[in-house]
Amino acid sequence: MKAAQLDFLKLFGGTTILSKQVVSELFRRPLYFRLIVEQIYQIGIRSLPLVIVTAGSTGMVMALQFGLGLEKFGGKLYIPKIVSLSIVREMGPVFTCLVLAARIGAGITSEIGSMTVTQQIDAIRALGTSPIKRIVIPRVIGALIAIPILSIAANFVGILGALLVGANDLGLDPVFFVQKVLTTVWVPDFLAGFFKTPVFAGIIAIVGCYFGLTVKGGTKGVGSATRQSVVTSSICILVGDYFLTKFFWIFEQWL
Amino acid sequence: MAIIEVKHFNKSFDGHAVHKDVSFRVEKGECLGLVGGSGIGKSVVLRSLIGLEKPTSGEIWIEGEEISKLKERDLTAIRKKVAYVFQNGALFDSMSVYDNLAYPLREHTAFNEDEIQTRIHDQLEEFGLLEAEGKLPAELSGGMQKRVGLARAMMIGPKVILYDEPTAGLDPYNTLKIRETVLRLKKKGVTSVFVTHDMPTAIAVCDRFVMLGEGRVLDERRADELSRKDPGPLERFITGDYGGY
Repeated sequence: MKAAQLDFLKLFGGTTILSKQVVSELFRRPLYFRLIVEQIYQIGIRSLPLVIVTAGSTGMVMALQFGLGLEKFGGKLYIPKIVSLSIVREMGPVFTCLVLAARIGAGITSEIGSMTVTQQIDAIRALGTSPIKRIVIPRVIGALIAIPILSIAANFVGILGALLVGANDLGLDPVFFVQKVLTTVWVPDFLAGFFKTPVFAGIIAIVGCYFGLTVKGGTKGVGSATRQSVVTSSICILVGDYFLTKFFWIFEQWL
Repeated sequence: MAIIEVKHFNKSFDGHAVHKDVSFRVEKGECLGLVGGSGIGKSVVLRSLIGLEKPTSGEIWIEGEEISKLKERDLTAIRKKVAYVFQNGALFDSMSVYDNLAYPLREHTAFNEDEIQTRIHDQLEEFGLLEAEGKLPAELSGGMQKRVGLARAMMIGPKVILYDEPTAGLDPYNTLKIRETVLRLKKKGVTSVFVTHDMPTAIAVCDRFVMLGEGRVLDERRADELSRKDPGPLERFITGDYGGY
């Protein structure tokens, strides 16, 4: 078997086992509420400026690109519809999670990786406590709570960015823009994007923790694990997005 | 009565056997020196005594309980009885010295914060670390980090302490401090296993030695049986005539 296939199997097996441990320890006491709140702050509040800048820029660029393209065919009026649907169903959740995979995933892996190479994870175990409960579960729960909320914020900021460009550069009436967005985006559209975010959040946290806990080779190993964590999470998010989109598409057809 | 018993311990990493058949026992209140050349796997044995490593085969008995097949969750009770002092202290670098010492108390006892504060203060005083209370580990010297690590390991009164090279890289002053602490704990009846290359300290604190090499126990001797006239592998290792490989 080739090394790449073995690595993939190791990663798949390792993350599956880690997920199983998280689920089995989640309902055992103690649950470290203070650590969970700390992670919600770290992941949520501290990522907010990055998400706002990313989502705002994405919305503005999309409005501009669609505006320039559709203007030739007299289709400028469709900009609010196209941009808002694209943001709510795809760009908001996926872009937010890709950006967070880099910020949060890298942060989780490097922090836990440093703890691993300095034997702090061993110390947690040697002191009769569980690294899964103290280190992994707060990060997973923190990500599961904070990332979906951040994606909602990204949707709003993205549409707001598109509205600004629409009003200032493309000559669209802001009231018309808002009306079109409100009549276009329905609850199923919002949910189709929103329900992807817990899956992506789980991927970011579990993959980040897995690479951090399995670091080998000192500080060089921490750097390498951090890189692998970001790449793996990003690929999983993009590939997972296709399957989730297809799933929600089939589900909506069935409804 | 043996508080620790290792039977036919075998440990392999990626198919490479580090230990093939290691057996020894540690009596209650005894300080056992585990010695041998660099890289022969003394720390692997020590880590296995607290379940941080699982043997490939063989048995490890702690106070009459076989621990090598216990699940991580079930090792908690063992880890309250057996403390591990890491080579570099392994202090939690995001916590102050106070919080590092409070960690085992907050996790395993029902003490309120006032009681915890009193106990930490007493412990810091006993270990000569009062001035370090509010500092982060990064602000401490290597010697102080090791002493804090030792103080943390002692917080909930373990019956056994496993020392992983506690004096490595320390100046004579800090080495002496650690040595005094180990002797003080020994007087209190704490059983210990001492992995070290620092032979003067080992001879000062250990009652008995087990020498590892070639994946097995090469020599085993009480400290008062060490002889210069008829040196075995252990004496030759101590005097530097034999690497133990």
